[in-house]
Amino acid sequence: MKRIVIGLLCVCLLLSFVAGVSAKKLKFAFMPGIADPFYFTMEKGAQAMADKLGVELIVGEFPKAWGPEYQVPILKALVARGDIDLLFTAPTSTEALIPVLKEIYDSGIPVITVDTYLKDGDYSKPSNYSFPLSYIGTDNFLGGQVVAGAMAVLLGGKGKVFLENTNPDVSSVMGRENGFRAGIEIFPEMELVGVEYCLDLQETAAAQVSAALQKDPDIAGVFGVNVFSAQGAYQAIASAGLVGAVKIATWDATQTLIEALRKGEIDLILAQMPAEMGALCVEWGYKHLTEGAEVPKKIIPGFFVFTKDNVNDADAQQYIYK
Amino acid sequence: MHKKRDRKILSHVARNWALLFLICLLILFSILGKNFFGLRNFSNIVLAATTLLLLATGETFVIISGGIDLSIGFVMGFVCVVSAVVMRDLHAAGLPQVISITTGCSVGILLGLIPGLINGILIAKLRVPPFIATLGMWGIANGLAWRFSEGFPIAFLPPRVRDIGMAYIAYFSPKTGLSFFSRPVLTERADIWNLMKIIPIPVLVIAILLVIFAFVLAKTKFGQHTYAIGGSVDAAERAGINVSRHLIKTYTISAFFASCAGALLVFKINMGVHTQYTSSYELFAIAAVVIGGASLMGGKGNIWGTIIGVLLIGTLNNGLMLMGLPIFYRYIAVGCILIVAVLIDQFFPELVYKE
Repeated sequence: MKRIVIGLLCVCLLLSFVAGVSAKKLKFAFMPGIADPFYFTMEKGAQAMADKLGVELIVGEFPKAWGPEYQVPILKALVARGDIDLLFTAPTSTEALIPVLKEIYDSGIPVITVDTYLKDGDYSKPSNYSFPLSYIGTDNFLGGQVVAGAMAVLLGGKGKVFLENTNPDVSSVMGRENGFRAGIEIFPEMELVGVEYCLDLQETAAAQVSAALQKDPDIAGVFGVNVFSAQGAYQAIASAGLVGAVKIATWDATQTLIEALRKGEIDLILAQMPAEMGALCVEWGYKHLTEGAEVPKKIIPGFFVFTKDNVNDADAQQYIYK
Repeated sequence: MHKKRDRKILSHVARNWALLFLICLLILFSILGKNFFGLRNFSNIVLAATTLLLLATGETFVIISGGIDLSIGFVMGFVCVVSAVVMRDLHAAGLPQVISITTGCSVGILLGLIPGLINGILIAKLRVPPFIATLGMWGIANGLAWRFSEGFPIAFLPPRVRDIGMAYIAYFSPKTGLSFFSRPVLTERADIWNLMKIIPIPVLVIAILLVIFAFVLAKTKFGQHTYAIGGSVDAAERAGINVSRHLIKTYTISAFFASCAGALLVFKINMGVHTQYTSSYELFAIAAVVIGGASLMGGKGNIWGTIIGVLLIGTLNNGLMLMGLPIFYRYIAVGCILIVAVLIDQFFPELVYKE
């Protein structure tokens, strides 16, 4: 009997030791920007990497709308649990989130900003917003250049192109525009004949692309920077009967746009890699906390270009936002 | 004798300045703009103006009655989203396309009348100033539309939606001749480009609505009462008009046009969309009505003038775009013309109104 009791005690001791080790499992918190396929995909990528590395991932509630007034209360509740080792988040304001994230950082939790950033996103110089470990996300300028290059491939390196943008006061779409301008300039036989802003009104985009076609009937390609401008461009091109003759490129592999690509309404989609972004946050956070690795201040995971030739490929499916 | 004739000419000019200005613009842009003059471009202008045309027609009734309706842009967005959601869900449930589409439109338009009815009751029965009542509805419709769409475009609609929205009544190509409703198959880009497309379906629908309501406003008792109320509510009441009932109808008409614009938008863009910029529409609608000769004091204006006002804004946008001017000049131009419209109204009332 005594032996059994001692044996049991030993088992208990062993179990508690194991439990003690597993309690040291790292806990990472992810605070998304808004409830949309982009961030859902990011969560999936982060979760997969967390499982691989044995990190526990705690995901904040997805805000119903974009903005600090929705995000900050959820974020505060998320870190209030007090056992978090690292936070990665998409700040919904380049200004308003600085003090909030600074406070979290000062309480001893390292912060990574993903997809969006604080101020101009340059954390390499000392400043009041340079405390995050890193910005992991898309470079819109680079993406615009990639679209220009892919468009050039589609058009055989020559022809007139048109850019349908949304808002001249939003940094992400302006980055895409500037990248596209710079990218097209590389090709001597290509010319950007116009840029219009539709303010996210698809009908306006259609009218603007119709007018652009009227002005330059030989336009060969249109880059619509988001779903509204791309679908508006399609509407104008279909109305002119020029589907296929005028190529349409757009941004973000949402299911709506992938479906449009499958139907032949658009020709090219630049996908960001939200799953990759999530995975990189977990991976670099893990390396930083376990090995003390120096995290680069800016990490760009790259892009994937969808065309009708690869949209049904098995290995392309992972880049569709789900 | 001469003086009287000069005065008559001047009076005509002042009364129809918007039309004259539109003609001047057409001539100017034909000279300066690239590929401005032609059936295809004029068709582009009219097609792009359809949404504004509907909204401005409803707004004309309200403005003539001496009120204003700020909610129409968001009511349009609300109906666009609701119709699209119904269409998408019924289509996904496997119902025939005709049923999904007609149910979607009917549900959207019927729900869209409610904000107008509430606006009317608030203004007529509870004496809330039109500006405030419809501004309140502006916020409510925006919130509801946002709630229904969750900020995303509603896609995966029945395929017929797009076919209807993009169809024309007739097509003519020298190669294939005249064909009705179905686009002839052409392979050469030049042939496709030169295909003549005659009257888009959305324009036909709107033309029918406009003729009916222009008749109602100009020739019926209902129209006369609208002018009478805009001229003087007291006088209208003394003349035995049931003013509050009439105002409720007026705001419902406005919401009806906004709802039609919303349902039509689904066909035009093949999605249900609501963004915060949807609210820029009502301001352009009000601008078009005022440019068309209506006064915000009420009692003046007509559908014909509103049509001119809408086409003036549309032509200006299109023409300046074809001249290659950046977007901000277009806003400035529309702003200037709006102010000119009101100035003409202020300073030459004796010319604008019949003695």
